[in-house]
Amino acid sequence: MKQKKMLNSKKSAGNTSSAETAVAISVSNVHKSFKLPTERAWGLKQAIFNRLRGVKGYTEYKVLKGINFEVKKGEFLGIVGRNGSGKSTLLKILSGIYTPEKGRVTINGNLVPFIELGVGFNFELTGRENIYLNGAMLGFSNAEMDEMYDEIVEFAELSDFMDQKLKNYSSGMQVRLAFSIAIRARGDILILDEVLAVGDAAFQQKCNDYFASLRGEQTVILVTHSMGNVREFCDRAILIEDGKILKEGDPEEVAEAYEGLWK
Amino acid sequence: MKMPKILNHRNRVLLKELTKTDFKLRYQGSVLGYLWALLKPLMLFAILYFVFTQVFRFGDGIPHYAVYLLTGVVLWNFFMESTNQGIQAIVGRGDLIRKISFPKWIVVVSATATALINFAINLGVIIIFALLNGIMPNLGWLIVLVFVAELYLLSLGLAMLLGAINVKFRDISSIWEVLMQAVFYMIPIIYPISFVMEKNVLLAKILMLNPIAQVVQDVRYWLVTKEAVRTWDLIHNFGLRIIPLVFVIVVLVVASIYFRKRSKYFAEEI
Repeated sequence: MKQKKMLNSKKSAGNTSSAETAVAISVSNVHKSFKLPTERAWGLKQAIFNRLRGVKGYTEYKVLKGINFEVKKGEFLGIVGRNGSGKSTLLKILSGIYTPEKGRVTINGNLVPFIELGVGFNFELTGRENIYLNGAMLGFSNAEMDEMYDEIVEFAELSDFMDQKLKNYSSGMQVRLAFSIAIRARGDILILDEVLAVGDAAFQQKCNDYFASLRGEQTVILVTHSMGNVREFCDRAILIEDGKILKEGDPEEVAEAYEGLWK
Repeated sequence: MKMPKILNHRNRVLLKELTKTDFKLRYQGSVLGYLWALLKPLMLFAILYFVFTQVFRFGDGIPHYAVYLLTGVVLWNFFMESTNQGIQAIVGRGDLIRKISFPKWIVVVSATATALINFAINLGVIIIFALLNGIMPNLGWLIVLVFVAELYLLSLGLAMLLGAINVKFRDISSIWEVLMQAVFYMIPIIYPISFVMEKNVLLAKILMLNPIAQVVQDVRYWLVTKEAVRTWDLIHNFGLRIIPLVFVIVVLVVASIYFRKRSKYFAEEI
């Protein structure tokens, strides 16, 4: 399932030298801004009004201002930053959900993004059906999901509930199911956004053990507010502040810099 | 979007799963379940049959009028359902589009595919009615598929175009619903086109330039009775004859260009 995906505004010639193949993700000079409507400019009426009055109807808000970094294959990278610093936007650009305004993102390999757990989950469907649906969203075929199915159910500890509709699950069970799909889905690159804190203490311990086992084998990008997780799991970390990289490198130093933001 | 990549493995899986889920959810929680997909058109047909053969006798001159009428109604319902669902598709699947990257046309195609499945069931019911009515099966029935494809492509093009506009201007879906009410009466579905021809031939010709009217009459011609008046029979200028087809192609081309341009920004605009 290897594929090379190019998400860019400027097409580059696909040069894959051997030095480059060790790089899983390369982000260069990525900019992104959003046009936020000043007044509700959703309807036709408002659009016409704004046009007539010469109002633009939006203010431009720069979220990312030139982000550069690389992730090597097998590296566990942490991304930290305050709320609104641009972490999630960056993650969405990496996942191909947003298009960068300027700059280039190169992905080598199959990227499995978890911006949110349980994307496409439907409460009217059973646990089993939801696993396959969620798998399809992430790009896995039924045959591939067949292989992962037992492992997912076992990790989620929900084998007795797979034929129940999702609406009859407790919220903890729903999250456990979603999380198990997330970590069992086999992609070359795993992207996780603030999803570590799920389930009860025992389940969290299990997740932590799993993450520890991924170190050095799986390429992971983890966005989190927990400096404990950064120190424990990450090989390298990035601190983003106001759309720019403020600090990059050793997880310990980055975690300190993050904690220093409030001092 | 390179040609061989459009229907790659992942897109096929996603399309299948989304369509399956749509269809599954539609009849979930009802006692009769999927049977409703069949019962609904049957009951609708019974009502229409009674109204238009006992009360308004529009079709006295037309052979197999009941089947003739049902064919028109079913084609119209298919067009309505696929465009309405398709226009809502992108906004309706906003939760997905904001959280995962996939080709956005899949949600539109999946919404219209659900309508297509319903149409296939309806068509089956029509064929049963046609046989009961004494219409002999013939090879001409296969030609019907060509016109169904034409109607589907028109619906898909409109759904993609209007669905993409609907992301920014939510008024579109309301405008479309009202507009469709008007268009319904411009198509000879519940009245025969001969009614219009008797009063004003030019008007009848203009009405028959509508691709939906063209498809409805062509399907009736091949499936029910050779007495159905087609665009082809009414208009003799070749340039004018192909207007409905040209319209469909123009809609498809404009829709795909616009959709490709806008779909990059759906995630941030929804």
